[in-house]
Amino acid sequence: MRKRAVVVVLGLLLVAVALAATAQAGHKSQKVTNVTFAGWSSGPDEDALDQQMANAFNASHSGIHVNWTVINGNYGDAMTARFAAHNPPDVFYVDSSVIGSWEKQGVIQPLNGFVAKSHYNTKAFYPKLLGAFKKGNTIYGFPKDWSPLATEVNNNLFGKAGIKSAPKTWAQLKSDAKTMVQKGVSKHPICLSPDWARMGAFMYQNGGSLTKNLTSKANAAAVNYYVGLLKSGLAYTPPSGSWCGQELGQGHAAIIFEGNWVLPYMKSTYPKVHYGVRPMIKGKQQGNLAFTVSWSMSKDSKNKQAAWTVLSWLVGKQGEKLWMSKGLALSPRKDVKSIGGRGPFLAAAPFARGWGFGNPNFANAYTVMGNDLNAVIAGSMSTQSMLSDVSKALKGQ
Amino acid sequence: MMATGSASEAAPNRLRSSMLGARLSEAAWGYGFAFVPFAVFGLFFIYPFVYAVYISFFHWGILGKQPGASGTYNYSKVLHDPVFHIALKNIAEYALAVVPLEMGLGLSLALLVNGKIRGRSFFRSGFYFPSIASSVAITVIILYLFAPHGPFNTFFGFSTDWFGNASTVGWSIVGLNAWTTSGTVMIFYLAALQSIPEDVYEASALDGAGAWRTFRKITFPLLKPAHFFCLVVFGIGALKLFDQSYIVSNGTGGPNYATTTPILYIYRQAFANYDFGVAAAAGVVFLGIILVLTVAQWFTLGRQEAG
Repeated sequence: MRKRAVVVVLGLLLVAVALAATAQAGHKSQKVTNVTFAGWSSGPDEDALDQQMANAFNASHSGIHVNWTVINGNYGDAMTARFAAHNPPDVFYVDSSVIGSWEKQGVIQPLNGFVAKSHYNTKAFYPKLLGAFKKGNTIYGFPKDWSPLATEVNNNLFGKAGIKSAPKTWAQLKSDAKTMVQKGVSKHPICLSPDWARMGAFMYQNGGSLTKNLTSKANAAAVNYYVGLLKSGLAYTPPSGSWCGQELGQGHAAIIFEGNWVLPYMKSTYPKVHYGVRPMIKGKQQGNLAFTVSWSMSKDSKNKQAAWTVLSWLVGKQGEKLWMSKGLALSPRKDVKSIGGRGPFLAAAPFARGWGFGNPNFANAYTVMGNDLNAVIAGSMSTQSMLSDVSKALKGQ
Repeated sequence: MMATGSASEAAPNRLRSSMLGARLSEAAWGYGFAFVPFAVFGLFFIYPFVYAVYISFFHWGILGKQPGASGTYNYSKVLHDPVFHIALKNIAEYALAVVPLEMGLGLSLALLVNGKIRGRSFFRSGFYFPSIASSVAITVIILYLFAPHGPFNTFFGFSTDWFGNASTVGWSIVGLNAWTTSGTVMIFYLAALQSIPEDVYEASALDGAGAWRTFRKITFPLLKPAHFFCLVVFGIGALKLFDQSYIVSNGTGGPNYATTTPILYIYRQAFANYDFGVAAAAGVVFLGIILVLTVAQWFTLGRQEAG
């Protein structure tokens, strides 16, 4: 009796061990590929949203596990070190202003092969935004979000000046500002950053361009209009440590030209300030800049197919819907709606030019732009010299 | 006899060999201990330096050597770059202004805390504090205090954008660094002051010399080794200005290149242009300039001091 009990127990044990071994073997056969996706974080909201994206992806994909990594500090420097060590994340943020440099350095994976193989629909993206991450026909990233510039006005100051609507043209901008000065509502009603990332929009509005014939008369006239607003006293540059959004919130500026990022900033920092958002003013024509960031893939990624699955999901309909849920930025896809109240920004989608223009010398040229524009504003450099300097810098000379 | 003789010879031989062994062992320990810092120095200073000189002769990107220009092209590019010239001019002006200011302020503080004043330890610590605090943290706080609508301007009724205006930003950084570094200079001067023998002062007191005359004729000349040391150390430190110009300009060297320094120029060439060859060449050129200046200082001030 005892012997039989021992045999039964042993038999049960053997069965249990065999079952456990089978289960283990089954687990091993289902291989999970780890993919890292990384970016900077503009704040806790964006960090949480990225983590939410990772969780949503992991919940719907069994063979791939994604890990979100936030890169703190100077993102460009940190990524440069990772590229040099051949150890970058598989998928990561790339600002349109550096895509040209990084592509030239050979650290970004062209995506055309994956697009063709998976019949990925690229037509869902606004062409100008996707174009910001293309060189010729080669795609180096898909935009995850974007924002152009718009005209933001302080409603109280406009009301005091008796002006009913925000300016729509260059002429109206000047006359509205003059009215405010004359009525004593504001000494310098317009806040203008000494920055080509704002002035560039005016150059396109005047029929100029940042990619062709930079020293053209149209560009020079736009610069003179922009700098002229500052020299006439109708506009002022934000003091160091501040920016035009802050100037609007503090009631120093009545008119500013900023992007979608000003909306969450005003909501959290100056919730009581009444302000309005209107489409960017226009000159001879409409012109705007698109500040956009892509999801791109590393050339050194060891799991490129899995990385493509992640990337294509992130910029796909499902990923973008989740990404747009907090209203941090605008959707680059025509088939995914941005949250309400973004109409003045979305109006620029068909014509806004991707900031950076895919130029590999853009990072250096942008430094020249900033320093030279300060010199032009200070009167120590001519407009033509600045345009010539920047033209050379964009050509890498 | 033979046995006794060989035994008596063997004893000093054994002693000699054991002494040799001890000396060898001592030397091995000594070299062993010295090897560690030498290895660290070699790995983190000599190797990167030699490597930087090497890559300065190539077109070098993020992933290493790239096809294209090589030889002395990078040097020619640096030497003909107007922005590098501006950086050299800026740093020369900065060093000429900040070093005497740091030394003057440091010496004054050292004289103050060397005297028999109440709360001497508190003042010594207080004056030294800015030197040990993070330069980034101090710069950020100063940027807030000196902002156009910040506490300083509000209190004194100014409206100047001290760190945002090309004509004032250089002097603002000079003032900031003179203040933060003066504590360290004070420490060196304090040590030098305390090494001056008391009898010299007694003799001058007997001769009826006043405080100013004593300082001019005794203290200041006897501090010559400290002057030379501070001039070289803080002079080289001033030439390496980076933190403040980076933070103030957000890395652009603006406004209007007013905060562009050679180190910021090197940083931008490497991390904005990804042209590590040019960055390395600029580094070598700048090292040459610092070497020439240091040797010149040695031949003028240092020699006299040594003599």
